[in-house]
Amino acid sequence: MAVASQKAKGNKGGRSELAKAEERTAFWLLFPTLLLLLLIGIYPLGQVFYLSLTNKRFASAQETQFIGLSNYANLLGMTLRELPVETDDAGNPELDENGNRQYVNDRLFLRRLDTERAFDTVSTFNLFGTRYVLGATNADFLKSIWDTAVFAVSAVFLETVLGLIIALALARKFFGRGLMRTAMLIPWAIITVVSSLIWEWMFKSDRSGFFNAFFEQLGVSSGNTVWLVNPALQMPSIIAIDVWKTTPFMALLLLAGLATIPKELYEAAEVDGASKIRQFFSVTLPLLVPTLAVALIFRTLDSLRVFDLFQIVFGESRYSMATFAQFQLVASKDMGLSAASSVIIFFIILVFAILYMRSLGVDND
Amino acid sequence: MTRERKNLVGEIFFYILIAIIAIYLLFPFYWAAISALKTEAELVRTPATFFPQNPTLQNFRAVLSNPDFLRGMLNSLIVAGFTTLLSLLVGAFAGYALGKLRFRGRTPSLYLILAMTMFPQVAVLAGLFQVINAVKDIAWLNIPTMVFLILIYMLFTLPFTTWVLTSFFKGLPDSLLQAAQVDGATFTQTFWHVLLPLTAPALVTTGLLAFIGAWNEYLFALTFTLQDPGSRTVPVAISQLSGRIARQEPVGEIMAGALIITVPLVILVLIFQNRIVDGLTAGAVKG
Repeated sequence: MAVASQKAKGNKGGRSELAKAEERTAFWLLFPTLLLLLLIGIYPLGQVFYLSLTNKRFASAQETQFIGLSNYANLLGMTLRELPVETDDAGNPELDENGNRQYVNDRLFLRRLDTERAFDTVSTFNLFGTRYVLGATNADFLKSIWDTAVFAVSAVFLETVLGLIIALALARKFFGRGLMRTAMLIPWAIITVVSSLIWEWMFKSDRSGFFNAFFEQLGVSSGNTVWLVNPALQMPSIIAIDVWKTTPFMALLLLAGLATIPKELYEAAEVDGASKIRQFFSVTLPLLVPTLAVALIFRTLDSLRVFDLFQIVFGESRYSMATFAQFQLVASKDMGLSAASSVIIFFIILVFAILYMRSLGVDND
Repeated sequence: MTRERKNLVGEIFFYILIAIIAIYLLFPFYWAAISALKTEAELVRTPATFFPQNPTLQNFRAVLSNPDFLRGMLNSLIVAGFTTLLSLLVGAFAGYALGKLRFRGRTPSLYLILAMTMFPQVAVLAGLFQVINAVKDIAWLNIPTMVFLILIYMLFTLPFTTWVLTSFFKGLPDSLLQAAQVDGATFTQTFWHVLLPLTAPALVTTGLLAFIGAWNEYLFALTFTLQDPGSRTVPVAISQLSGRIARQEPVGEIMAGALIITVPLVILVLIFQNRIVDGLTAGAVKG
């Protein structure tokens, strides 16, 4: 009896000893990863939060002061005003030769406002016959958020549609399918800086550039389109570059998703006499939704962080959120403002990251 | 119209669609290649020629004798190489713990690492800048910029390698582990002698993807080599290439350089293409 109970005790003690050893091993195996991520991720992030509350400048003798939320107020300060009509001495609205009302210059109007901080125009727009001006204390930053959002939404939408078409075409067995799958990896494998430089060259503003030479030969343009300078063409051009670079990745993800759909479903649909189009909407699309959701959020996350493409193609003429923050740091040497913009970017992306993790799910077994 | 006739028309449209897709994907690459082969005079000619009239290798020669470009290649190889090796080593440890061992705090660790894979790098830029300048001020340490780059690149390669290797280790049968335990092997022995050899294929794929990520990186490289041009990696070097023969922007040389740094990568990708596709889709598609 005594021996048996001792044995049982020893066994139990042995097992928990083993479990403890396992836990110790796990700790030491994880330690280098956690230490590194602490040093290069979490600590610098803490620094950024702290810096965002100061007016620290890089390479400056000026003493750093704690300035509270002033950087954030600068970045996010906005005003929406009704733009007054230009009037003559009698108080009647001035009209141009077409009979349209003349409005006060929006820049001058904002400058004349008696506010603590000066406002710059972000945009002007008409609503119900009144003209409004949206002013901001840091118009560049607000524009960078807007441009990044437009870029992300349009690029992700287009590459999803194109990616889906390519994936559906490649899901079929045909001669040269292997070769096509190989070709798809080429845009993905090219360094973003390099593909941006190649496209920048293709978008050259005279007929030595591909697009101008091509459209001129088609007879649809004069061949002197300034694709990357004209504000109206800047966004479509940069979106086209991103779509080319990332569509193959999207197509590969969707192709893998298509492969998981059981063939029997299509056979059953065929027997029921469903057309190809009906099969797509009733079988393919619903079953592809989980893959699509993950791919969409992942790509949105990625395009909200866009840096390389904007930096190469636009430099300082038009910012993405990331190029704005980098420019504030290295060129304006304003660490505080750069840090505050980084914090805002961090929270915008955090929302998408949480969505992504929810849709991906972490195995809790 | 008969059914066969209809099928034939469908087939033709299908192959036209495939051809359009192929041209779309490959055309910019073709344009870069012919631009690299053109003379300087032909590059500025209007309208642009679609085939080089007098193909020449002078752009390739020029860029290959450009010390900034060569330095960039070497720096990139060093930085990307060490980043990959370190991430694989450290990531394999963590992946084994997360994939195969039971311990408290496993789920929070997994969440933390997944969260790190989508970390916006610009969010830590000013903080890292501050840290690096502080460490550099300690003169006797004299740490080269490239060491900082290698460590910083782990910010995005390490969570990724850990995440992929975790799911790989999880997929390995427990019986292997138990058999090793019965034979009296310690955890460390099991790791080195049983699990690591089995993970070799996963290590190759993950390593290649980590290498591409580090080879590609531009934001940190651009920011942290600002005061140290000798440490520029190839993306920075090529974006700031100044011509040796060209008077204006050396487009021909840039395109030649673009091809030189792209072709080896493309060849590697093509060799490992099936594994890469599996690796890329591993996290995103639940089978």
